[in-house]
Amino acid sequence: MKILVPVKQVASIDGDFTLDGAGELDPRALHWQANEWDAFSLEAALQLAESSSAGEGFEVVVVTVADEHGEEGLRACLAMGADRALRVWDPALAGVDDPLAIAAVLAAVARREDPGLILCGVQSSDSANAATGVALAGLLELPRVAVVTAIEQDGGGLTVQRELDGGAVEVLRLSLPALLTIQTGINEPRRANLRAIKLARSKPSATLALSDLDLDVSDVREVAGARTVRLLERGRGEGASMIEGPAEAIAGRIVELVTRELRA
Amino acid sequence: MARDPRHDILFEPVPIGPKTLRNRFYQSPHCTSFGAELPGAQAHIRAMKAEGGWAAVNTEFCSVHPSSDSRPLVSARLWDDDDARNLARMAELAHEHGALAGVELWHGGCVAGNLESRMPARSVSQLTDDGLYATSCYELDKAGIREIQGYYVAAARRARDVGFDMINIEGAECGALPQHFLMSKFNHRTDEYGGSVENRARFWLETVEQVREAVGDDCAVTIRLCVDTLNDDPRGIRAAEEAYRFIELGDHLVDFWDLQGGGWAAAEWAGDDAVASRFAGEFSHRPYIEAVRPATKKPIATVGRFTNPDTMAAAVSSGLIDIVAAARPSIADPFLPRKIEQGRYEEIRECIGCNICASRFGLGAPIVCTQNATLGEEFRRGWHPERFTVASNHDKSVLVVGAGPAGMECAMVLGKRSMSAVHLVDEQDALGGCMRSISAYPHLGEWGRVTTYRQVQLGKLASVEVILGTRLDAEAVLSYGAEIVVIATGARWRADGMNGPTQLPIPGAQLDFVHTPEQVSAVKGAIDGEHVLVYDTDGYFTGVGMAEMLLAAGKRVSVVTPSPNLAPFMFYTGEAFRVNRELRAQGVEIVTSHVLGEITPDGLHGQNVWAPDPVHWEADAVVLVTQRQPCDELYHELRADPDRLAREGIDSVYRIGDCLAPRTIAENVFDGHRLAREIDTADPATPLPYIRELPDVNRQPAAVPGAG
Ligand SMILES: Cc1cc2nc3c(=O)[nH]c(=O)nc-3n(C[C@H](O)[C@H](O)[C@H](O)COP(=O)(O)O)c2cc1C
Ligand code: SF4
Repeated sequence: MKILVPVKQVASIDGDFTLDGAGELDPRALHWQANEWDAFSLEAALQLAESSSAGEGFEVVVVTVADEHGEEGLRACLAMGADRALRVWDPALAGVDDPLAIAAVLAAVARREDPGLILCGVQSSDSANAATGVALAGLLELPRVAVVTAIEQDGGGLTVQRELDGGAVEVLRLSLPALLTIQTGINEPRRANLRAIKLARSKPSATLALSDLDLDVSDVREVAGARTVRLLERGRGEGASMIEGPAEAIAGRIVELVTRELRA
Repeated sequence: MARDPRHDILFEPVPIGPKTLRNRFYQSPHCTSFGAELPGAQAHIRAMKAEGGWAAVNTEFCSVHPSSDSRPLVSARLWDDDDARNLARMAELAHEHGALAGVELWHGGCVAGNLESRMPARSVSQLTDDGLYATSCYELDKAGIREIQGYYVAAARRARDVGFDMINIEGAECGALPQHFLMSKFNHRTDEYGGSVENRARFWLETVEQVREAVGDDCAVTIRLCVDTLNDDPRGIRAAEEAYRFIELGDHLVDFWDLQGGGWAAAEWAGDDAVASRFAGEFSHRPYIEAVRPATKKPIATVGRFTNPDTMAAAVSSGLIDIVAAARPSIADPFLPRKIEQGRYEEIRECIGCNICASRFGLGAPIVCTQNATLGEEFRRGWHPERFTVASNHDKSVLVVGAGPAGMECAMVLGKRSMSAVHLVDEQDALGGCMRSISAYPHLGEWGRVTTYRQVQLGKLASVEVILGTRLDAEAVLSYGAEIVVIATGARWRADGMNGPTQLPIPGAQLDFVHTPEQVSAVKGAIDGEHVLVYDTDGYFTGVGMAEMLLAAGKRVSVVTPSPNLAPFMFYTGEAFRVNRELRAQGVEIVTSHVLGEITPDGLHGQNVWAPDPVHWEADAVVLVTQRQPCDELYHELRADPDRLAREGIDSVYRIGDCLAPRTIAENVFDGHRLAREIDTADPATPLPYIRELPDVNRQPAAVPGAG
């Protein structure tokens, strides 16, 4: 069986970023890193592949929609144990970050790869829509379960769990093919050692253009429901006040405030 | 990140008489043990600071004449033209980097032992220095005073002639003749050089006047003045009294004032100038500077282990000081001004206030620094604190096991040398290794900067990955896929009491009420028992740390040591006087000059070092601070099977830091740094030779003038 794991490099922003007049971020304030959720979905895929009876022929394929910034993330996934990597990029995709548009691209990849299971992260930490996975399931008309906290193989299908409010756990069964969005904490993602990092260098990795997927720029742009117009700095809340002065004075003031809040 | 506009004030130029400081950063005179004898080392340690943005760099105290010879401690010297020629290189390089070069002229009077020159010491009165034995001096008559003033003038001229920009007539730290004239503790004269403050100031001010006259407008002139001797002795200097008046009297003679508080040389004031972080934080002498500020219209430079630009800028903005002087912050980070200037605040390598730098002076050995492994290595090893070459074997991958001081430094430098992949792995769930428990000792919180600086750096290096909470056994290391393996697994305290004084274990050390420092640290001193005896043969901070931690946990504490004082190494770091005094004041019983021979369930059996009679102590618990042993099992297991290493593709396995031989944190950091700097040499385990600057025996030596 083939498991497709869509991943993403997310941008984290320096504490003191500045926006230019057009609401654009200075790229020097950005640091790229793997989306926190993706390590869990990849680990879940690797564990399923490992736990299946030998010889069944699992393949774990990671895919990202990104410019070269995405390469580092794919290399890390290959080092963790993914078998193959795909990167989809087309200059026309620059600036496109709408979940529906990304899902449209991923759907084309899925049609081409025909996986038995797709494992997405619940959300990405930078745009935080939590929509790409479910949108992808919708486009592919697959059964899906969101925010999964446990997975077990169950004959030809899967039994999965999700945590509900108030401590209840929902147990669901579903047949394959299917799509799950995976919650953090479901497992303990492994660390790649240096041998795995080296091995990853010779694993297959391909870059696809939209045309390779029989997609047109308009296919993507038209489904995009919304487009980022500008970023604004969040104003300081009314309740926020800066504590200034020597370290001891600051510490004293913090103790005072915390004690007051605790009493309140 | 851009510079905070509040710090702009630090980059304003400051006119000082005929010269101008390009900004407000001034490297306070500090010893290196390079003197004039190691001209390359001397020139390059200062040049690095000049390159790092300091507006002025200074020599250490610089003897003006053989009648003031500090051996075995190393000063700079301007005894003759050869000395001047050797120091000239320093001025030259400082200028190349746009900094001014200063010389701190020194005559030590009675504190000079003159062990090299064999000249009798002379001083303000007929005194005996409390740090020298069986030797004394003679009192200067007026002709003698003129003679000494002539030495200052001659030395100042030599400095001027080889390009120095600033002449400092020092009387700081209670170790120089001008200050001895000023202090009634030393000045017992009844002529016009003794008695009133005006009379006691006369020698110093006349000297400065003569120097000024001699160097004219070629040099800025300053006085390094101790503004307060920091005790209540009325024979010392009090900021509001002697210092205030002295500054008023001398204000017309100087271009700026270089002010400090406390001393180093005389026992009572020891360690109060370069005060260790266990006693004080930044700018602890502020009140004394405030007291003298109104006495002068001239710019004031002062020290305060400044590493935080907010503190510096606030002190300048408030009008209290004009020039930010620093010794240790410039040692820990020669590029401190540049980093502030460029807003690279998180790059600042902050001094931890351990005073290992100062200990090297007292030991007569070349200066080193815990935080800055490149310090003192600028010339002899050609190391630059901010620049790293790409290793010729950078395609190799490296596994560093152990994230203590050595492992962190090694991984960081390997990353800066562009090694393709470096994994730093530690079984604990945070970086730091031994620093985690050490910085939790009472009063040593600032030592945690050893970890935080490296943590920030490691986080920025794309090719270095830090993996915590992961214990690697030999099998895991072998199959890890690294081509180079560095073992930095630290050391542990001996539980068997093995110790230097007897070179034997202590019988009874296995009893259940006997603990190691690790065991005490793990429970923050809350071990069983009410009265705890600490046996310390290590002699540095661990025994003191144990005593303080146990005190904080409510224990009654006794410390037994074979040394004549608790923590003898702390005499070199300037911590010993206060530590011995304060622990006694807190009720710690300190038993010196005793060895512990045996521990039994009904007590401890020892002996005075000088007498054979047995001594018996009782205690509920014992802590053995004797010696550490390397945690080198992993290293040996890996090295035991060379064929397997070859099969796994591992080219080399090294060990560094405490895992090789337990030493100070400074030596461990150096060890990790050195291996990484030399990872691409033919034999990285063996340090490359360094330049030794030996004099040429074929050159005709010059006779020392005036030595008769
Ligand atoms: C290693 C070392 C050597 C020093 N040598 C001298 C010296 O030769 N002359 C002097 O006037 N002060 C000397 N000092 C004192 C410093 O100039 C300075 O007053 C003191 O260290 C406090 O400044 P800081 O907090 O910036 O280190 C020395 C200090 C250190 C740490
Ligand atoms: S040795 Fe210690 S006190 Fe001296 S400069 Fe370095 S960190 Fe600071």
